[in-house]
Amino acid sequence: MTREGMDETRFGELADAFGGDVRRWPEGEREAARAWIDAHPLEAERALFDARQTDAVLFASPTPMVSMALRDRVIAAASVRAQAAWPSLRKLLWIGGVGWAAAACAGVMVGTTLSGHLATQAQADAVLEQALLGGIDETEVLG
Amino acid sequence: MGTVALPWPSQLALCRERDRLAAVVDPDEDLVRRVGQGDPAAIQALVARKLPRMLALAQRMLGDPVEAEDVAQDAMLRAWKQAPRWTPGKARFDTWLHRVALNLCYDRLRRRREVPTEISPDRPDEGPAPDRGVIAAQLGARVDRALAALPQRQREAIVLCHYQELTNIEAASLMSVSVEALESLLSRGRRTLRQTLADLAPGAEPAAEGERG
Repeated sequence: MTREGMDETRFGELADAFGGDVRRWPEGEREAARAWIDAHPLEAERALFDARQTDAVLFASPTPMVSMALRDRVIAAASVRAQAAWPSLRKLLWIGGVGWAAAACAGVMVGTTLSGHLATQAQADAVLEQALLGGIDETEVLG
Repeated sequence: MGTVALPWPSQLALCRERDRLAAVVDPDEDLVRRVGQGDPAAIQALVARKLPRMLALAQRMLGDPVEAEDVAQDAMLRAWKQAPRWTPGKARFDTWLHRVALNLCYDRLRRRREVPTEISPDRPDEGPAPDRGVIAAQLGARVDRALAALPQRQREAIVLCHYQELTNIEAASLMSVSVEALESLLSRGRRTLRQTLADLAPGAEPAAEGERG
């Protein structure tokens, strides 16, 4: 067994399972496998030979081609979905607009009430001030 | 004293942890985010990247081109639904999509067992594709028949690892088995294929038509 835990048995197991191309083996064991190939080229070649033949057979299986009709259907479904999202966005914007309008009306009403209240308060203050001024004058006159 | 060799199980655990960490990086993350925002260019790019993979997966799992198209289309429709709420970092999008497509394949395989249909998984190809020679098409059809004749789990392991090029960790996770069990399924499946198709090896005598699987 090498420093990374690779030996002939493990190398053979990996070739049997993952094929004759070390690049397709589990990432964590590739480095050790390459080191083992360098150290034992003949044994490695023997283990990889059958695996490469099986790979070649497997690669003879044709890869299905995506038809334009299927591609178009899938893209159309995505577009429909994206468009379906727009009304809800518009709805959100509409709700937002109504919200802003309501807030503006409320602001006007509060402002009107508040200004009316402040005006009344100002009038009362003025009357009180006049009364106080009048009181001072009377004290001064009466001594 | 030199470097102390770790015991075998510890080495294996380290290797697997390294594989797991490497698997977290998702090359599709940006594309999926843009698809979620409705970007038409991203939608087309994701179709170009994933639809052929889903079609190949379904075709080799089901052995039927019409059903394979349905599964690939359904898987992509679920991708459109999932993209706006996809959370990056939890899993690879490609692995998630494989899980979706595999589940759709399982459903169809289960239905076939419950209700036998006219469709046979090992039926021959309907004809060579225009861009392939007749011999290559016949060879491919034979390999497909041999694949279809494998036990389902062995076929699934080979499809995920060899054709879909998923890592052993991803494939084992999708199949809900340990990486050791996955290796065993791969080895048994490949051995059976090697024996079934032994006459295709360079230098071997061609099998008589009647002996072919």
